[in-house]
Amino acid sequence: MSEKNPLPFAKTQSRSMLLLVVAVLVGLPLVLPSATLATEILIFAMAALACNLLLGYTGLLSFGQGIFFGAGAYCAALLMIHLQLGLFSALLGAALAGGFLAFLVGALAIRRTGIYFVMLTLAFSQMAYFLTYTLSDWTGGDNGLLNVPRPEIRIGDTVLMSLSDARYFYGFVAVLFLLIFIGARRVIASPFGSTLMAIRENETRAAAIGYDTRHFKILVFMLSGAVTGIAGALYAMLLHFVPLSNIDLAMSENILIMTIVGGTGSLFGSLLGAGSIVLLGEFLSDLWPRWLMLLGVILILVVVFMRGGLWGGFSSLFERIKGRRKPSLPVQEEQP
Amino acid sequence: MLELYLFQILNGLGLGMIYFLIAVGLTIIFGLLNFVNFAHGAFFLLGAYICYTAVSLTGNFWLSLLLAPLLVAALAWVIERLLIQRIYHLPHMFQILVTLGIALIIQEASVMIWGPVGKSVAVPQLLRGVLVIGDFVYPYYRLFLIVFSALVGFGLWLLLERTRFGALVRAGSESTETVSLLGTNIFRLFSMTFALGAGLAGVAGVLFAPLRGAQPFVGPEILGVAFVVVVIGGMGSFSGALVGGLLVGVVQSLMTTIWPQGASLMIYGAMAVVILLRPYGLFGRA
Repeated sequence: MSEKNPLPFAKTQSRSMLLLVVAVLVGLPLVLPSATLATEILIFAMAALACNLLLGYTGLLSFGQGIFFGAGAYCAALLMIHLQLGLFSALLGAALAGGFLAFLVGALAIRRTGIYFVMLTLAFSQMAYFLTYTLSDWTGGDNGLLNVPRPEIRIGDTVLMSLSDARYFYGFVAVLFLLIFIGARRVIASPFGSTLMAIRENETRAAAIGYDTRHFKILVFMLSGAVTGIAGALYAMLLHFVPLSNIDLAMSENILIMTIVGGTGSLFGSLLGAGSIVLLGEFLSDLWPRWLMLLGVILILVVVFMRGGLWGGFSSLFERIKGRRKPSLPVQEEQP
Repeated sequence: MLELYLFQILNGLGLGMIYFLIAVGLTIIFGLLNFVNFAHGAFFLLGAYICYTAVSLTGNFWLSLLLAPLLVAALAWVIERLLIQRIYHLPHMFQILVTLGIALIIQEASVMIWGPVGKSVAVPQLLRGVLVIGDFVYPYYRLFLIVFSALVGFGLWLLLERTRFGALVRAGSESTETVSLLGTNIFRLFSMTFALGAGLAGVAGVLFAPLRGAQPFVGPEILGVAFVVVVIGGMGSFSGALVGGLLVGVVQSLMTTIWPQGASLMIYGAMAVVILLRPYGLFGRA
């Protein structure tokens, strides 16, 4: 929500937001029982952030995020297994694969709007799943792709850092996440980002002003696909394994739910959403295997009562406390 | 060889009629309420499970065929009253998310009640045999499936075309405001239509149970197929749901022996092509 306000304090706000993210990145592995869990949170936060660019900033509900996540995972794994590519080349390959597929899906899906747009992304998502299932010689089909390596960071032949220790891998993912977060903030603050939000608010008007809205929508799809692809690749490296479920419809739904629960329209919300849902799953799945039911309840509550998500809830609470301390300032009403 | 194809085509017609029942519920809800229901697969699931429970308690399939759709419709009616009515005015995006939540809750509740492993339901005693014509052998139950679904479809057609309720539903699909201004309690009509659509999914679930049993995670798959059928036939179109359902059923059935994943690939491909080239479907109106 904070990005939407006119910003007299833009600089300080943006700096304190970055500090908050850095604090979370440093704090996560200290608070959580394992670095692997913290890494998983960041990976899904990355995917949710990419989804947020589409859903929160451009107003596009895509059931295709699982395609890009799965494509990134399979692509990176295949590049590392068959071509022995290193860490950065594999990640680059995953970003390209995610971006390219997002270009295809986006370019076709945005020919329709509303429910037909959603249906198209759904159809593509199912096609990607069944295609992956069918190409079992490459993808391992139902068994998934096993023995995915986690390469070390190296320049030429010099190994700079091995990532086999979960904590080092977390560090690497955290740095990557921070870079992507900063990049995404830059994109949103740019004229390109303003145009995306103009499309979200009223596409006809944005087109009437003279923006080629299709061009913008395809570009944001590619950006989202590339970031989601990287997240998928990191997930493959984390698990040393690419399960078929990485590309199924449930993955798309999970990423969507994380984005919405965290709060659309705030990048930090995506981190919040991914964090709370991964943690909820981690702690509840042993106690109560049917915890997904709770997820359904949360999803409904957020949509019906708290459309700003967790972040929207927190920030309006914060505004209210601030407003009480300084009664001379007008209290910001929460946007519906 | 010819018998095999005939066998598969008949199977496909039976499957297609089940798809029709699911899709027609979805399409009526979309047509009148302009509401996208992602929980439709979950209502199908419930129908199958209630059928299982009714059959294992009473041993009577026919009772479950009556009971399960009614119970599913009643549940849908309650959900509509409590929750769905609050979100009609929201954009489709939010309707999708809320019904996705409902689907998750129903699915997980089903696993809690009936366990994570699927339950099988026996074919009713009366329909256990096979029909033999010369060399051709065909199970009675699958024939019954085609005939019974056709009867339900015909009854539904009568309901929509020949009754006051049907006239209101059709009029409401054209213009909700006008019907409301003419003095009909539109929200009651909405609740009844939503329950009717869910009940049809329940009927389909019961009919499906003796074929493949009640499976806890079948909801999303069925929902996907229902959307394919509805999109191919045209959103809101009754005849479109029938033709689309039969088409998808026959294609799937013929492909199962050759390349089952290919069948899914094809139907979702067809869905994408139809949306891109004929967004209102083969039978829908612009």
